[in-house]
Amino acid sequence: MNLRAKKILLLLLAAVLLFGSGQIQKVLNRDRERLGLTRVNALDNAPPVLAFTTVALGGFRGLIANALWIRANDLQNDDKFFEAAQLATWITDLEPSFSQVWLFQAWNMAYNISVKFKDFPDRWRWVEHGIELLRDGGLRYNPDDVLIHRELAWFFQHKMGQNLDDANAFYKQQWALEMAPFFGPHGTNLSDLINPPDAAARTNALLLREKYKIDPEFARKVDAQYGPFDWRLPEAHAIYWGAQGLQKAKEHPDKVKADDLITLRRIIYQSMLQAFHHGRIIDDPFAKTSSLEPNLDLVAKVNDAYLQAYAEETQPNQKTGILKAHRNFLKDAVYFLYGSNRSGEAAKWYKLLGEKYPDNTILDDDTNSYPRNLTLDEYAVARVQAELGDTSQERTTAVVEKLIAESYYALALGQEERSVGFKLLARQVYDKFTNKIGKMQSNLERVGLPPFDVMNRTVLNRFLDQQQPVLPFAARAILRTQLGLPAESAATNAPPAAVPNAVENAPTNSAAK
Amino acid sequence: MQRILAIAGLTWKAALRFKLFLVIAVLLFGAVVGLPLLIQDDGTARGFTQIILTYTLSAITALLGLSTLWLACGTLARDIEECQMQVVVTKPIARWQVWLGKWLGIVSLNAVLLAFSGACVYGLLQWRAGKLPAAEQQILREQVLVARGVAREKDFSAEIDAEAKQVLQERLKSNPVTTADLPEVQRQIREQVKAELQVVPGGYSSRPWQIDLGFAKNQLRDQPLQLRVKFNSANKSGSGTFVLVWQVGDPRSQKVWQSPPMSLAPDTVHEFQIPPNLIDTNGVLTIMAANPNDIALLFPLEDGIEVLYPEGGFALNFVRGLGIIFCWMALLAALGLAAASLLSFPVAAFFSLAMLVVILSSGTLADAVESGTVVGGNEETGVMGHSAADAVLIPMFKGILSVTRLVQNFSPIDSLSTGRVITWGELGLAFGQIVVLTGGVFALAGMALFHRRELAAVQGTQ
Repeated sequence: MNLRAKKILLLLLAAVLLFGSGQIQKVLNRDRERLGLTRVNALDNAPPVLAFTTVALGGFRGLIANALWIRANDLQNDDKFFEAAQLATWITDLEPSFSQVWLFQAWNMAYNISVKFKDFPDRWRWVEHGIELLRDGGLRYNPDDVLIHRELAWFFQHKMGQNLDDANAFYKQQWALEMAPFFGPHGTNLSDLINPPDAAARTNALLLREKYKIDPEFARKVDAQYGPFDWRLPEAHAIYWGAQGLQKAKEHPDKVKADDLITLRRIIYQSMLQAFHHGRIIDDPFAKTSSLEPNLDLVAKVNDAYLQAYAEETQPNQKTGILKAHRNFLKDAVYFLYGSNRSGEAAKWYKLLGEKYPDNTILDDDTNSYPRNLTLDEYAVARVQAELGDTSQERTTAVVEKLIAESYYALALGQEERSVGFKLLARQVYDKFTNKIGKMQSNLERVGLPPFDVMNRTVLNRFLDQQQPVLPFAARAILRTQLGLPAESAATNAPPAAVPNAVENAPTNSAAK
Repeated sequence: MQRILAIAGLTWKAALRFKLFLVIAVLLFGAVVGLPLLIQDDGTARGFTQIILTYTLSAITALLGLSTLWLACGTLARDIEECQMQVVVTKPIARWQVWLGKWLGIVSLNAVLLAFSGACVYGLLQWRAGKLPAAEQQILREQVLVARGVAREKDFSAEIDAEAKQVLQERLKSNPVTTADLPEVQRQIREQVKAELQVVPGGYSSRPWQIDLGFAKNQLRDQPLQLRVKFNSANKSGSGTFVLVWQVGDPRSQKVWQSPPMSLAPDTVHEFQIPPNLIDTNGVLTIMAANPNDIALLFPLEDGIEVLYPEGGFALNFVRGLGIIFCWMALLAALGLAAASLLSFPVAAFFSLAMLVVILSSGTLADAVESGTVVGGNEETGVMGHSAADAVLIPMFKGILSVTRLVQNFSPIDSLSTGRVITWGELGLAFGQIVVLTGGVFALAGMALFHRRELAAVQGTQ
């Protein structure tokens, strides 16, 4: 055999052996995990350079990671953050199977570094870096790690969902802008992502899976079990990643600690409570802004989540805490439902509140405010007054006018239930004050309120005023249409003639008349 | 001089013959072009520019530094070991001239390589900056690709000392302390007096900082300035930040700018722009910070409030920064040559690298000097350990640190990446301390050793 043929033969042999060892490696990795031979799992999904680096450096990679970590820490102490992303990537690349490294680096970016910046877009960039590090890196190499799922869920629930960071509204807005193309203008469009009707929808679904690592089918299950959610908001994503973590824990029970499971469940029910409090985006086309409102469709499921959390909790002090949180939730649910003209549902939950917590007061400053002592109407009005301050004549006038104004603004935004709810509350506050000061003429003259219709007309006149407009033209036009008023005439200095009739047509609700 | 230049020329020829020049040039070019492709930035043009400046200049310094040491050790030690030096010294040239010629050859080689790689970095930055949107370019030109001077409030040390002395005297009259406690009492009183100048109490109150921009005010007409602020707080806030509102300008005039409420983190440097023409006729800029929080915030006198103003262009600043790097290279060349004057090539290389490690470990030495021991202490109790070696090592560390600080007190890469000015004075000081003083000591030692060395006694390698 000549030399060339020998070389070719050896090369072929080397290739065959390399392929064979690659095949055996899979079996070896399975065995070492099954037999518990090493604490570190084999690295999956790693690109060749990373796989080579982690193997070639061996134990030295820990030393290099330490050196990089020290440098990152020093730079951070000197307020130099421009290298932080690079150093975090290198550190995690050197220790890809060590989930605590991912958790720390991501948390450091999202929590420590982000608040170092005064501009909200800068903060958001670092929060996103933290999320991306966990989602795109940590979960790629540790797809079954419950801690990484928990941390990801925590970022959405706590960093973005709660209001501890001054920039939380900006985070929510940016996330909603990112998610809107996938989940639609109301954040509920899951069916098109699961069964895309056209090429654009298919691309959308693919992008959601590849970039944001969200499985629409799993999202639908989460929505069915815990929702319905507006998927443009962070709470839905907190619950998604929490549910993913629970799923992984179920698949790998041997890798999960009991505390981690409790934390995951806690994140889910706390996110549901947050979604109940501010889980709907209300767009204001007139002011070109958006605001968050309660998602009242979640009341029943949040209630179930609390009861489940209570049943699963083993620590007595935590159980007490859950009960207290549940009671507060029920109080809020009743109030919000009542304010949205969903009195039937409000009455149902008020009844449950009374049955479940009969010996706890429901108003902060009233020691006699047991549910049995207050009607639903009285409770709702007291909540308004408690939130808005004292009950002087001037203050009550302002409160009633504010509620009427809220009612008309909600009507202009197309939220008819809320509009009626606000008007109902305005009437209740008005009646309660009038009853309190008595029917004596002298009292009425001294500290009485103007007639309700007059107050209503005053507010409406202000809203429909063309000379000193409070609302833009579009909002006034909608309001007129809703109230059955004629269209605006050309601008004049004359007072708006149609308004007195409007009061009669306005939704002052029958109960108030 | 001709003789020195002849030796320098020979050093160049050797470097070219051994393809060292070419290899280093390729490596430097690779570092400058390749690093931007590999490095992950923070997502902003400013961050990208800062990281490119930091990594490319650090890579250039490291590559050139190591090659300089290697070349300096090799060029002299090998000439001696291979007996070529025996021929050279028979010529009408003094040994110190040979030594100086070698040094000049190495530093001129470095100068060319540094200029080449510096030009590549500068070109790359300008090219990348030119492709950015106008708004990003403006941020870069105002914050990174610029040479900004720093103005601070006047030094209050004398006033603080006088006030502290007066308070101490009053305190001693009413409540005498033992002699042993006196230094601690003095220190505490001084800190209290200082704190009064640093603290901004809660509740919208503030003291005015008056920063004299001196003659610079004439050049700053219509130029926006940057305010650089840093504060500490005793307590954390729930959000991790505190709201502050700034008012800049003479409150007696109409030209006052008020910031929107800013959410700022403590213990962090924040920079923000303030409008132009707020400096009063005396060249003083008045700054007020309203603190609506319910806890006091402390603005350190040293760097709590600084005004950054444009003082020059980036190009000249960049050249001055490269100038300081060049001074380091000149020192390394002197170090390598001094080692090779006495030692064989491998030992000289090892010795030089060991010296470099000592310089780079100055942080560890400083920690030991600060704690007064080399054995560390108990982190929990704060009690420091003690070793018999401390009596020798700590003074030695102090000596080493006083020398290394002459070299390390300059940070051109940091200044360039944060848009800080490197003044001609700073460059001159660097040249004096690094090249003339420290390098001069190595040069004198090297020349003396080389002069006294018996060249024929060296065991040749061939």
